[in-house]
Amino acid sequence: MHVKILRDLRRNRWFLTGLSLIGFFFVLAMIGPSLAPFDPQDFSFNPLSPPAFKHLLGVNDGGQDIFSELLYSLRNTVLFGLLSGSAALVIGVLIGAFSGWLGGFPDAVFMRLADILLAIPAIMILIIVAAVFRPSPSVLALILAFMTWPTISKAIRAQTLGLKESLHVKAAVQMGGGNWHIIRRHLLPEMFPLYLIGFAAKTRMAMFMEASLAFLGLFDPGRKSLGMMISYALKYYYLDIWWNWLLPPILCLSFVIMAITFVAISLENVLDPRLKEGSLKETVMEKTL
Amino acid sequence: MDAVPRKPKPRWLLGVVSFLAAALVMIYLSYALPRILPGDFVTAAYAGSHVTLTAEQEASLQSLYSQDTGFGSYLLRLVTLDWGYSHAFLAPVSELFLGALPWTLLLLGTANLIAMSAGFVTGVEAAWRHGTRTEKGLIAGATVLEGIPEICTGVVLLFIFALKLQWFPAAGAETAYAEGGLFTRVIDVLHHLALPLCTLILAYLPGNFLLTRNSMMMVMKAPYMVTARAKGVPPRRVRYVHAARNALLPVVTRFGLRLAFMITGALVVERINSYPGLGTLLFNAIQSRDLPVIQAVVLFSSLIVLAVILSMEGLYRMIDPRIRHAR
Amino acid sequence: MSLEIRNLDVVYGNGGHSIQALENIDLTIDRGKCLALIGESGSGKTTFGKACLGLLPENARIHGAILLNGERIPYEDKMSLQGIRWKKIAMVFQNGAANLNPSHRIIDQVAEPLLVHGVENSSDARMRAAIALEQMGIGSDAHGRYPHQFSGGQAQKIQLAMAMILDPEILILDEPTSALDALSKGLVHRLIVEKKSRGKTIVLITHDLEFAVGCADTVAVLYLGQIMEKLPAEQVFSNPLHPYTLALKRSYPAMNNARDLGGIRGDAFYRTVHQHGRGKETDYLHSHIQVPESSHKDGHAPPVGCLFGQRCTQAVERCKQGPIQIESVEDHEVRCVRRGIAERFVLNGVTKRYGSTRALHPVTLNVKAGEIFSLVGETGSGKTTLAMIAAGVLSPDAGTRYFEGRNMDQWIKKNYRSLAGRIGVIYQNPAESVSHRFTVGEIIAEPLNIHRTFREKKEKERRVRECLADVHLSTDDHFLKRYPHELNMGALQRICIARALVLDPSLLIADEPTSSLDPSVQAKVLKLLLDLQIQRGLTMLFVSHDVGLVRKISDRIGVMYQGRMVETGPASIVLQQPRHPYTRLLIRSAMGEFSKEINSEERFSSGH
Repeated sequence: MHVKILRDLRRNRWFLTGLSLIGFFFVLAMIGPSLAPFDPQDFSFNPLSPPAFKHLLGVNDGGQDIFSELLYSLRNTVLFGLLSGSAALVIGVLIGAFSGWLGGFPDAVFMRLADILLAIPAIMILIIVAAVFRPSPSVLALILAFMTWPTISKAIRAQTLGLKESLHVKAAVQMGGGNWHIIRRHLLPEMFPLYLIGFAAKTRMAMFMEASLAFLGLFDPGRKSLGMMISYALKYYYLDIWWNWLLPPILCLSFVIMAITFVAISLENVLDPRLKEGSLKETVMEKTL
Repeated sequence: MDAVPRKPKPRWLLGVVSFLAAALVMIYLSYALPRILPGDFVTAAYAGSHVTLTAEQEASLQSLYSQDTGFGSYLLRLVTLDWGYSHAFLAPVSELFLGALPWTLLLLGTANLIAMSAGFVTGVEAAWRHGTRTEKGLIAGATVLEGIPEICTGVVLLFIFALKLQWFPAAGAETAYAEGGLFTRVIDVLHHLALPLCTLILAYLPGNFLLTRNSMMMVMKAPYMVTARAKGVPPRRVRYVHAARNALLPVVTRFGLRLAFMITGALVVERINSYPGLGTLLFNAIQSRDLPVIQAVVLFSSLIVLAVILSMEGLYRMIDPRIRHAR
Repeated sequence: MSLEIRNLDVVYGNGGHSIQALENIDLTIDRGKCLALIGESGSGKTTFGKACLGLLPENARIHGAILLNGERIPYEDKMSLQGIRWKKIAMVFQNGAANLNPSHRIIDQVAEPLLVHGVENSSDARMRAAIALEQMGIGSDAHGRYPHQFSGGQAQKIQLAMAMILDPEILILDEPTSALDALSKGLVHRLIVEKKSRGKTIVLITHDLEFAVGCADTVAVLYLGQIMEKLPAEQVFSNPLHPYTLALKRSYPAMNNARDLGGIRGDAFYRTVHQHGRGKETDYLHSHIQVPESSHKDGHAPPVGCLFGQRCTQAVERCKQGPIQIESVEDHEVRCVRRGIAERFVLNGVTKRYGSTRALHPVTLNVKAGEIFSLVGETGSGKTTLAMIAAGVLSPDAGTRYFEGRNMDQWIKKNYRSLAGRIGVIYQNPAESVSHRFTVGEIIAEPLNIHRTFREKKEKERRVRECLADVHLSTDDHFLKRYPHELNMGALQRICIARALVLDPSLLIADEPTSSLDPSVQAKVLKLLLDLQIQRGLTMLFVSHDVGLVRKISDRIGVMYQGRMVETGPASIVLQQPRHPYTRLLIRSAMGEFSKEINSEERFSSGH
């Protein structure tokens, strides 16, 4: 069955586009800093100078090379997203699976906890924490993960409750399988699509948050971020720098998030069997009835 | 089914009661937390910030927070809009709050309504035209748009239409100190509203569209759709009255949630456009460590979330008779 | 005249090279009674017959005594022995035609005893012989013929005529009906009955259970020279107590036995041909039977403990210890350490509700070791619930359950896993009862993993392959790596069976295991289940709504209706002589007669 899914995914254009874009950006993010011609903190250059061969995208108001800035920012955003997404996934899956499987008191406790966390707006907490405590970005990523796992765990739990009634799970219980054995071998492998969807969604959210927080100036000023670049570039709108200072980070950010959005949406479409497309002929026939 | 008929307790009463209970808990938390925090809460909060307080200000703040006047009087003060005084903005908190609230409501309410209705209708029509180029095009467009974060759309719109073309103002909800009749004022407000509104609509619409379309796809496969067509129901009625009605639930959920998180939902956009809503207020308050304002906004936000979530239950019942009759 | 055998031992050979053909035989047959000695090849039954007539070879040593009317048969005294033979005690041998002299006409052979014992003269003898032959259905035109001109069945009849010509007091019949058809058997049966009524004593040596039960008063079951059970003939089919007797019954294609033939696993013995080569009389090529698992490498010493133990479905450690005595159990005499068939599990008065629905009214079920018990009934009758309670998966609201003598509820509380390992379950839908992420190898190995049975991966794999072979599936690596969706339902169900058996459970519960399968596949899987059950001595609880299917494999059937067990009993009896009206309705519907009065018969009272 997962073979068929892989085949469908391979055919889906959105998925391929998104995946290749992600691939591109990921590679860029990883090796970026080595490509950067200068240390982005180096503010010795001529501020606001236009793009030239030496500075592909010019120099910003603080005297830093924009191109280098861009590469470092990209990495920061991508890493933040991946860290938060994976953490949310792991927490969400474990809690969701155990909660759904064990039921009873543990289930009630976890789900109430999830409801409370859902009611708290993530961005507000992040802003408050970032402003008041100024923690490292990794910590913020993890805090975000801690607030976004509930949706994943609810989805996993719902699926687990359904799976609990399936015959192979009951057979495994009859055979004497323990809780961890069943969760590991019978439940978790069945929910693979949910992992992908959840991971994509949370990573997207995290990257979005990172950009927003950076835009609002809540990170350490020394930390390069796409959001921060946009916010600074915007101030100098009256100068003719928009196309080398404002546009690149906007484009980068848009494409990165777009890429992961494509992946998330295509995954949902492919992995949800209910959305399978019928043939054109079928639909035309239906409509002429 | 009971032998003896009993008058059933109305469900909505239960909802209201649980809301009040939860609300009370929230309010209590906002009351108790500052008092529970260790050490000198006030000093600690301002440490590391670029804001400094005069001794007098600090003292009054401390007295505000260490007041042991009890929960009851706290409640009373809340209800009478006596929410303290903001030192950063030099105005009573309630004034600041109530000044920003209408703008946020206007912006978010309008954006959500338009995005929801437009998204819903386009979603239904697109699903109906499944397999055609129109549909594919719409989906493609929506997917791309969905992928562009608000920051980008907001900044681009601002940059192009406000800063470069100067068609729209770059800041504010209305022109300050303007004179003029009601009509001029309304136009002015709309003028200022345009950019943030468009940004938000562009951010919310694709999601609603895709969600509706997916919902509709699932509904259209259902057997009762065949029955509807077999009965000779005209297409438009089939689409909306039969199909879309069943696809409504997820969309309404999303609408509700967006509304619930209105303050934070618009925060970035408000900031980009310097729109004086609650988001901007909160942000500025955080920057300047204006605790009373923060407290007020957070509390209000939580209460709204609670209210919306609890009332959505009631809404579900209205929309989906299966839930209504479940118990 | 009565025949009594006291503690008869017959040993062939001497010294280190001897075979015990009969051991500790104690039998008493009164006047006018018939004893059937049931045994298969190698059981010593022919030796017995020959011993009675003193016809054993030179190297046979006899201990104990055979008494005719209280008097010992004088084997040493050749003269008086000769006087006794055929007049007092006659025998019909196995293998009809070979026992007739090919160069004598049959009429002469039949007449010969009369002449030899001086009873008649030549022409009267021939007349009596002719009458005897006619009575056996051999027409006078055939009387002048030679043995090779007759069929095996006819030769048998000729022998019978010959044996009865002197109207002996005691008649020993060694497999008189093996070559005969049913009608001819009827003839022999009538003969026996007639003889009994005239006070003659009959010893019927046969492996034809049905015939034995029809003719005999008592039945003794012989296995490898020992009597395993002595019981009243009418109880052979309804209540055999020794596992061997039960297994025989199951192997026998009786009209009375609904279930498909079984067979008994393993072999009783095998023949070897060898030479000892140490001079003296042992230095020649000879053959004898060798019992597997015997202690001496040449197979000369018999095994210690129960002779049937290795093939028995309920053997325990005690069965391997020391000689087993025969003891009285109910009105039988049984040579079994466990005093007859043990009980595998018992459910006593169990009830179950789901919410406000009562799934089971108090139901009692006990299933004996090594038998197949089927629960049959319509959907909603509670049969699956009952089966799951037996499996330990569901717990009853009231009532007690015992598995192999232990209280299940306590066992489950203490250590469910150890109980789970003793019970295997197969379900209706094989595709759903396995996870599609598991390969074939992983599916079968899962119980091994859960119970951590094997330390080494290699041993685990070996066991998996063994189980695959047992269910007749391929054991190569490629197959082990396949996924369920690549296989058809029949193969999947076999894999589920292999999985259920991998831990070598003592109970297998099958919940409609063939309902999801195509008919042709159904047959194969059922056959497989039967084979496995016999091979491994499993007890099986089979749940089905299909009466016809259940008929083919059950020893006993329990009919369930609306949460009650309305009828239980041996399969053939329940199906052929149903007592409860619901059972009757069920059987009639199964046979295609749909009653028009279904409504009035629908409301049945519980019990009967």
